[in-house]
Formats: sequence, C-alpha cells, structure tokens
Amino acid sequence: MKTFLGALILCVLPAATLLADEPERPASERFAAAGHDAATPDFQKHMVPLLSRLGCNGRACHGSFQGRGGFRLSLFGYDPAMDYEALTKSQTSSGGTLVDADEPDSSAMIEFPTDGDIHEGGQRFARDSWQHHLITTWIRNGMPGPAEPPHVLEQLEVTPAELVFAAPRQTAQLRVVARWADGSREDVTCLCRFQTNNEAVVEIDESGHVTSLGPGDTHVVAFYENGVTAVPVLMPVSDQVGEKFPAVAARTEVDRLVLDKLRKLGTVPAEVCGDAEFLRRVSLDMIGTLPAAAEVEAFLADTSPDKRQRKIDELLGRPEYAAWWATRFCDLTGNNPQQMGEAAFRTEQSQQWYNWIRRRLEENAPYDQMVAGLLLARGRQEGQDYHAYAEEMTSYVRKEDPADFAERLDMPHYWSRNSFRTPEDRVLGISYAFLGLRIQCAQCHKHPFDRWTQDDFRQFTGFFRNATYGVSREARDDYDKLMEELGLKGIDGGQQRRMMVQMARDGKPVPFRELFVTPAPAGRNARAATARLLGAETIDLRKCDDPRQPVMDWLRRPDNPFFARAIANRLWAHYFGVGIIDPPDDLNLANPPSNRELLDHLAAGFIQSGFDLKWLHREITGSDAYQRGWQPNETNLLDRRNFSRALPRRLPAEVAYDAVIQATASDDKLAKWAADPGQRAIGHASLAGASRYAMQVFGKPERTTTCDCERSSEPTLLQSVYLLNDQDTLNLISSGGWATEAARRLTPAARKGREPAEVPDETTNAVIREAYLRTISRPPADEELAACRGHLAAAATVQDGLRDLLWALLNTKEFVVNH
Amino acid sequence: MWRATATRKCSDGLTRRDLLKVGGIGVGGLSLAGYLRLAEAGQLRPGGQARSGILIYLNGGPTHLDTFDLKPDAPSEVRGEFNPIDTNVPGVRICEHLPKLAACADKYTILRGVSHALAAHEFGRAYLTTGNAPLASLRFPGYGSVISKELPGEPDLPAYVAVPRTPEVSGYLGVQYTALSTGAAPRPNQPFSVRGISLRQDVTTEVVNRRQSLLGQLDGSFGEYARQDDLLSGLDRFSAKALEIITSPRSRRAFDISQEPSEVAARFGEHAFGQSCLLATRLIESGVRFVTVDYGGWDTHRDNFGILKTTKLPELDSGLAGLFTTLAERGLLEETAVMVCGEFGRTPKINANAGRDHWPRAMFVLLAGGGIAGGRVLGASSEKGETPAEGDGYSPDDVAASFYHAFGIDHTHEYHEATGRPIMIVRHGEVIRELFA
Repeated sequence: MKTFLGALILCVLPAATLLADEPERPASERFAAAGHDAATPDFQKHMVPLLSRLGCNGRACHGSFQGRGGFRLSLFGYDPAMDYEALTKSQTSSGGTLVDADEPDSSAMIEFPTDGDIHEGGQRFARDSWQHHLITTWIRNGMPGPAEPPHVLEQLEVTPAELVFAAPRQTAQLRVVARWADGSREDVTCLCRFQTNNEAVVEIDESGHVTSLGPGDTHVVAFYENGVTAVPVLMPVSDQVGEKFPAVAARTEVDRLVLDKLRKLGTVPAEVCGDAEFLRRVSLDMIGTLPAAAEVEAFLADTSPDKRQRKIDELLGRPEYAAWWATRFCDLTGNNPQQMGEAAFRTEQSQQWYNWIRRRLEENAPYDQMVAGLLLARGRQEGQDYHAYAEEMTSYVRKEDPADFAERLDMPHYWSRNSFRTPEDRVLGISYAFLGLRIQCAQCHKHPFDRWTQDDFRQFTGFFRNATYGVSREARDDYDKLMEELGLKGIDGGQQRRMMVQMARDGKPVPFRELFVTPAPAGRNARAATARLLGAETIDLRKCDDPRQPVMDWLRRPDNPFFARAIANRLWAHYFGVGIIDPPDDLNLANPPSNRELLDHLAAGFIQSGFDLKWLHREITGSDAYQRGWQPNETNLLDRRNFSRALPRRLPAEVAYDAVIQATASDDKLAKWAADPGQRAIGHASLAGASRYAMQVFGKPERTTTCDCERSSEPTLLQSVYLLNDQDTLNLISSGGWATEAARRLTPAARKGREPAEVPDETTNAVIREAYLRTISRPPADEELAACRGHLAAAATVQDGLRDLLWALLNTKEFVVNH
Repeated sequence: MWRATATRKCSDGLTRRDLLKVGGIGVGGLSLAGYLRLAEAGQLRPGGQARSGILIYLNGGPTHLDTFDLKPDAPSEVRGEFNPIDTNVPGVRICEHLPKLAACADKYTILRGVSHALAAHEFGRAYLTTGNAPLASLRFPGYGSVISKELPGEPDLPAYVAVPRTPEVSGYLGVQYTALSTGAAPRPNQPFSVRGISLRQDVTTEVVNRRQSLLGQLDGSFGEYARQDDLLSGLDRFSAKALEIITSPRSRRAFDISQEPSEVAARFGEHAFGQSCLLATRLIESGVRFVTVDYGGWDTHRDNFGILKTTKLPELDSGLAGLFTTLAERGLLEETAVMVCGEFGRTPKINANAGRDHWPRAMFVLLAGGGIAGGRVLGASSEKGETPAEGDGYSPDDVAASFYHAFGIDHTHEYHEATGRPIMIVRHGEVIRELFA
C-alpha cells in the first residue's frame, strides 16, 4: 500500500463502468508463464501496441522511413498490414526470416531484442518475460494478421481520473482499460506508452507508475492504439488550499473559474493592477497602440467605478481595433502577397484580403460568417457571367475610383494562393487556422500525440478537392477571347503582367482567373464521392452542390470540439501571453487545457453570443484575471499557466515599431498619424509597408507557414541594437519630433535687452511627465523625476537633454514590454 | 547487417576522438591502419576546417551557360555570344568576360549540373539558401543562421552580417539567428556606416555613455523580478551586448573599409558589389562568423548578353576574384568556406528578347575554401546545358550538406522546431566527397 501513501486519489469513474464486468486481465499476467493456454494474441490489439511500447517502431529505430538494420516497421504503427508483412516476410542477414514457426523461441524476433550485444537498439525485453511469451504464443498459433475490418477502439479509460499529491515522492499506479466497439474490455496498462507533460512536477515510468516530484500541475498521458487519455496531476504550491485560500472576490464568471483552479493549487493571485498599467496593457493588446499622453491623464483623472469597462468598450469601437485584428487574422489565414495567385496583382489582392477582413471586424460580423466568407468563397457571384467577373475584378484595381472589394460577400483570394492548391495543403491550412490543429504528422504517419491517422487525414482532404483556382472549362472561350482582344496572347510572362497591370489601371477589363467549384464525381468511384469530417461523420459529397459546405456546417455546430475553442483559446493567449491550451495552435488530446472549465465557458458563451468576437474580447479583458499586476508573490512566482498574475510580454513587431513612432512624434505629426491606422505598421497588409528591416528584426510573421510560432515574441540582440542605435530610432528622436518641440517650451525666448527668464520647475516637471506618459504611459515616480531633472540640468543644451531622456525611456524594459 | 556498426560515422567527418575509437575497434570494425590507408587514398577526409563562411548570393538566377558552364559546340540558339577562355588550371575553361576569375581558378571549385525543379524565384531561393526544398508547414533556416548557431561568435561582434540584406531567413531557429543587415552596400571611396552599429556623427561614444547612465537610473521598475523573468533578463543581457558592440572599436574597425590600402580596395572593383566583397573580407578577418552578400540583377529575361557583358560579369569578376585572392593572401581562405550561387540556371534556348528564362534543371555553384579543394570542375551538364550529364546530378541538398561538412557540421543533425518535430539540418543531402578529396 506504499503506492497510495499520502496521496489523495480522486476516483471519478462513471457509475456504468464500475458496474460493468471486470475487463480481460492484462497481457502481462496472461502471458507471464510459458506454455500456458492463453488465447492467441491479436495483431492489432497486442502485437502492434507491444512494438510501440517497446519502442521498436519509433523514429530512431525500425520506424525510421529507411528502417534500421534492414528491418522497417511503420512509424508508431500507422500501418498494421505493412508491419505484418515486415514481421513475417523480412529477411535477416543470414537469409532466414524474423520468425521461426518451428522453433519460435529461436526466432530472430526474440533473439535480437533480448540480447543487447547483438541488437543495436539494446535489450528491449528479457527472455522468458511476458513479452517473450506473448510473441512466441502468437507465432506458435499461426501468426494471425490484422483483423479485417479493424477493431474499433471506443475509449481508453484511465483510473484514477485525477491525481492530487500532497508532497514530493508520493506515488500512484495508473490502470488503463481499452473499451472496444464490440463491448469487450481489456486491461491494457502493460501495453500502453506513458508520458508526463512536466518533468518537474511528476514522472511516470513505462508501467504507468506515477511519482510526484514537485509542486504545480500538469498531466500524465496514456497512449494505446489510437487512444490518448490525459490525467490531470496536481500538487499544491502552498498550504493555502481550499478553506485556507484567502478571500478573493470572483467578479466575473471567468474569475470564478480561474480562482477555482488557483484555490486547488494554493496559488494566491496578484492584486489587480493600477489604472495606468491597465490602460497601457489593454491598449497595446486590444488595439496595438500606446495610449496617448492626454488619454492617460484623462483616464487617471476619471473617478467613476466603471471606467475600465467603458474603456474596453471604447477601444473596441476604435478603428485601430479593426486594423490590428485584421492583421492578426491575416496572419492566421496566411495572407502572404508572395503567394497570391494573380502574379500581376499580388500586392493589390493581398490588400483586398486585408480590407475585407478589416471591414468584417469594423462591422463586428459574426466570426462564423467571416470564416464562411473565406471557406465557401467562389470567384463569380451567383448568375455572373465571365465577362462581368473580369469587369468586377478589374474594377477593384483600376486607378480611378476603384470599387470597394470589402463590399464583396466572400473573399476568394484565400484559395488562390500558390501554397493552397493541393487538397493536402488545404487541410493543413484550414485545420491550423480554424481548428487549432497541427495535423501535418498524420499526412505521413499516425499522429504520435493525437488520435489522427493517415486515413483521417486522407478522408478529410475529400472536401477540398473540388475547388479550383484557374480558368473553368465553361469560361475558357471567353477567357481566351479576352486575352486575344487585349493582345495578351503569346506574350511572355513579365511583359504580359506589365501590360495587364497598365490596362487594368486604366479601367479596361482584363482576364482574371477564378475560383470555381465542380461537383463531386458521381457514380462508380464511391470512395472519392465521400469524405469524413475530423472525428465526425462521413458525408456523401454527391449530395452537396459545394463539397466544402459540410465542413462549414460542421464548424458551426455547437458540438464541434475545435472551432469555437480554437479562437477563444487564441484570443486568450493573445491577452495573457499563454493559452489555456498552449501552444494555442496545438489542440491535441495529449495537450489538454490547463483549465478545461474556463475554456468550455468561453467557447460556450462565444457560440451562445452568435460567434460575437467582441463578446470574447470583453469577457476576457473585463475579468480581474486579465487586470492583475505582474508583481509576483511567494505562491505565484513560478506560475505561467494558471493566470494568477500578468506575465510581461515583448511587444509584437508592428506594435513596437508604431510605439517608437508615436512616442517620439511631434503633436502635429501624431494627430495625422493617429487618424489613419492604414499608414501604421499595425494596419499594413504586408511586410513592405513598414520598415521591412524592423519587421524582420522583431519577428512579424511572413505568413509562409501554418504555425502561430511564426510570430516571434523573443528578445534578441538585434532588437536591442535597433532601439539603441538604429537610424530609424535615432532619426525619430533627433529630427523635429517631440524632443525639439518640448525643447522650445523649456527655452524661453530671449527678449531684447533682458536676461531670459528662468524656466519654472512646473514646466520642466510637466515636460518630463509628458515624456513618461508618451513612452511608458505612467507619471514618473519622485526619484525618477529627480534623476531626469538632474540630467536635464547637466546637459549641454535642453535639446540634448531631452533627446537623451527619450532615448533612455525607449530603451527601458518597461517600454518594449507589455506588463 | 544486424550488427551494431560503431564505425558508421567514419564516412562522415571524423574527429580525433573518433579516430581513437576507430583504433580500439577490433574484428568487424575498421582498423586504424585501414583508416589511414583510406584517408591517404582520399576516400575519407574530415570536414570541419572552416571556422567562418561567406555566401555570395546571385539573386535572380545567374545563367550557367554564359558564365561557368559554356557550350561552345552547341547550336547558336543555345551557345550564345560568349567564348570560353583558359584559366590558370589546365582544362578548366570559363567565360571570356571573367578574366580575373580565370587567373585564380585554382582557388575555387565549379560544380556543374546542379539540378532541381523549382522554377519560381521564391521557391528556388528558399531551396538554395537552405538545402531543403520549401515546405508549406515549415520555414528552414539559412546557412548563416545555422552556422552562427553552431559556431557562436565573439561577444563584441555580430555573428552574422548580411550586405546589404539576405534572402536567408532564420526560420524555425527563431529570430535570434537573424542576420544583421547593413541595409546598404558600401560605395567606393565613401564612408560606410552600418545600420545600428556605426555611431553617427552626432552620437559619439560620450553621448552613448551619458545616455546609458541615465538609462541605468530609469530602468529599475521591475526590480528584483527582472532577474527572475526570462524575457526581462534576456532584454538586459542583449542590451548590454548591443552596447558593447556599438561602442567597441573592434566592430567599428571591422566595418570601416576605408582602412584598407587603396590598391587592395581597387582590386575589388569600384562598384557596390566589389566593395561588398571587400567588406565581407574585412568582417571575416575581424572575426565575424558568417557574411552573406546579396547581389541581384541576374534575372536576365531580356538582353542577357548586353547586361552580362557590360555590367554583371565585369563586376562579378573583380569582386569575386578580389575576395578569393585577398582571403588567400591573408591566410583566411583555408578556414573560410565560400559558396556562390543563385536560385537556378537559365534556359539553354535564347528567347525572342535575347534573354534567357528560368531553368532549374541545370545550374552552377562555386565552392571554395575551408578545406574544399580548389581548381576543379565537378559534375557536368548535358550537351546543351539542359540537364545534368549523368543521372540526377548534384542536388541543392548535396551542395548544402557539403557546405556544412566544411564546418564540421553534421547535416543530419536534428533540431526541434516549435512543435517538437525533429528536423534534420539538411533532410535529403549527401556530402559530395570529391570536394574534400
């Protein structure tokens, strides 16, 4: 009973499971002795999981695509038929087979893995162990192959369902039961692979034996066949748990759910932050913009209790909100001008894409509608003929009075990209952007950490085979005719593009390719006529006008486990620097949310609100959880996943770049600049608009890959160089900006025949205060004010002193960090 | 074949320690004597001689047929206007408009028949600067990023500099391995300032020190916590290093090409490319780990011969020859590996505009220094320069694997990208052994 010593085990098993028959005993018991009469091992249920468990089919071993030592298995067991072939047909170097049906104990399949001297992979199991007996029993009983059709694993039940430890070095044993579709159940603990998601909190050995190591919370995960089950593990960080947890009011439902978890952990949250800190944080996060100095003053002076909520509402109505979030949604959807299908109009089409999303955000169109506008887009509107289409597309790029692309109901450029042409690329992009799934593993082999198989991947591609960007058969004649009329036929690419651009600028309709959808093939090929939603039902595509429609319908369903969660989690990660599921684009069974109830609440509320993005923004930023200070206490210093305090985050590339401009600009310039977010880095459609170099140094994503990690938030040497000494920064500080303007206020005009008057202290203090408000959005503390006054007094000229001051403030950590 | 083969590393960059291991292996392994015999015969040769590197990137895709892979016997619509000339290496012939490079052909090796299938600039660039065909789901890091990661640089110098910029990206290695881009190319006889590094006239070291002391007084608001948080402590660390570089006389000297004797500067040619090569040489001499020079203008869809003859080839000739000979004179070529390439070759058939279009099926790459034997031609293209003469020729993957080999970097080494997926530095290449023989 040492196993359960001191550990509080919560057994949350469904009642039905407890009442069910005892499952089949584990293979480790049934095959413990040689020569017993246990039933023949099943290839799918026992042999392949055993090979996985032993590591045989891992990437460094026989699962490598080159195999190892002349013997290759499918990676992580994705292809049982291939593995069966490999085991029964592979030749050893001496010309024999891996299995010896006459003398199973002498099979190479036993000899090698039990002998570390001859097996490069070392000893994997001992002679006369249950593993040995399982394999020889399988050989002796005729080596039955994989079942056809395959067994279907319904659920992987793990007990206990949650582990709470009180101290390090406490232990517990997991038990894993597989439940198959035919109702049979088997204890498969000995055939599982296990992993811990945090080695500092808990370790788990290959038999499912768990040992607590330190305070914190994480999961241990059991893998068997296609099943993945994660078990939460927790060890409080202090004794302030449950009743002893200090009284912290839960102002919102989000707060209640966050505090529920913190109470279990004994993690005491930080105090709610001050007004200046809140304003800076929410402005940078929500609209990608520093608050103006006057805005800070006004906010600090406001005494009404609901001023934070009103500020959130105000920011959500600002044009910078739509500008900044359009940039973020362009990241997500991959708006990369280099990839745009119409080479002659790359920049224009990328801008159109951006504008289209920005308009949706300005109008706060429901998120599902915005996504439908991308996913179900077609080139031509209902009933539009090709010529009218060419006219329409030209009208967006003509020089005089161009039409507004954002007025279009849908946004076909999403599908025109060169990187989005194959069904496989489309599955990767769509899964990433709208489901938060990294499914690329399953393109070639079974996903090592999730349930997805190659078949799931292939089946999902079926929905995306029928949308084509090109010239449809029915429009071919019109297209060719137009090419001919315009004299574009037979001209080489570069020249043709230049001519097209010129004609289109002049308003002459030029031929554009179009996104069109063909119906799914009817009749003979039944497999091509169906497709399967990820983890959901198979659809007969012949019944759909647009094979993409069932995917959109599925995304919108309240029971879709990914769509609402993915975006809710991404917004949360944006505001907290860490997702409830983290990384935020990796929703997989082995990477569960740190607070499931919280994510469920956000997803359900979002669906209930009619996919209202602003509801999500309000729900998240309106909580005390978002508004806490960064100052750590003893219990939350190490917390990075339970939202007990604010985590300092480096400003995103565009925000940092704009912030330097805003902080240093003269009042006049600031007014002009602030009026049009389209002129700012946060509102540029591409890298090209802002300083390309700065964008690269600070890591604006190029949108070439499907990973949230493409946007960098790391500090680097070149970022420091940029802020300390780059021409961009130095020019802004020195030439005609705020420093020059403010210097005038501190240099009283010399009147004729009189000594210049002394500058009153209040004026100097006000200028220093303004420098602070412009950069780090708070008034200076007394000692800071004194230091600045001292520096100004010692400077050769007022202007020099003020430039130094701006330079120093821009280079504080407080400036480049959102905290 | 089931036996563990402890000697399998022999074919791939033996270190001294490996060598001793070889000696200790008995039956079944390779004996020390056997190894030495093979090594002498040139079959095995360790890489790892290069300590620094230069990539000269010929942006746009330089024609192979009019530079280093001429086809004097091909029909006129392929042959073009230029004739081959002899070089200082018997049997090696290059274009008549590259006389200075012909005079130092013993310094570099020409790879012909390098071949791939990506005819768009963007994809070709991504391929040739990484050795990995581009993938939608992953951005591979370029040479400078990998090499400056594997061989960290000096504290008061940037490790990786691009003149004036580079098509390489740091990809999944993260922005910390991005090049410092000078933003502009140096011009002959003009002071050159490097963005971020050079101090402007109005910002003297004194000014920086004065500002730094004020910063020290104002940057305390995170207090103790600044040391406990990864981001905040990282900002402090990088800021200190940046100030060191900016105020270091060494880094300023490295970028100051005006300190070169005028006869040396003249040798590189009075144009931006030549002066960029001079800067690259100086930077390497000062201890910068990797320099990329991006040299565009090779996308000769029209007037191929006019452009090449009047500007591109004379510039390339003096800049590159200056680089090779100066590195060699200063004893730097032995430990500096140099690669010269673009994204593809150009169409054998001359088009209606007297131009050549994109042609990835056959291209050239130059490699030099860092243990790579010079004065050779490896590989060949077919009679009309359309394909490799034999088989698949060399792939960009092989070129990359070989380049890394020169630095002692095992191209099969695995990094982990953000999702934890293991990725080899070069996924499919083989080291071209002949380069090191």
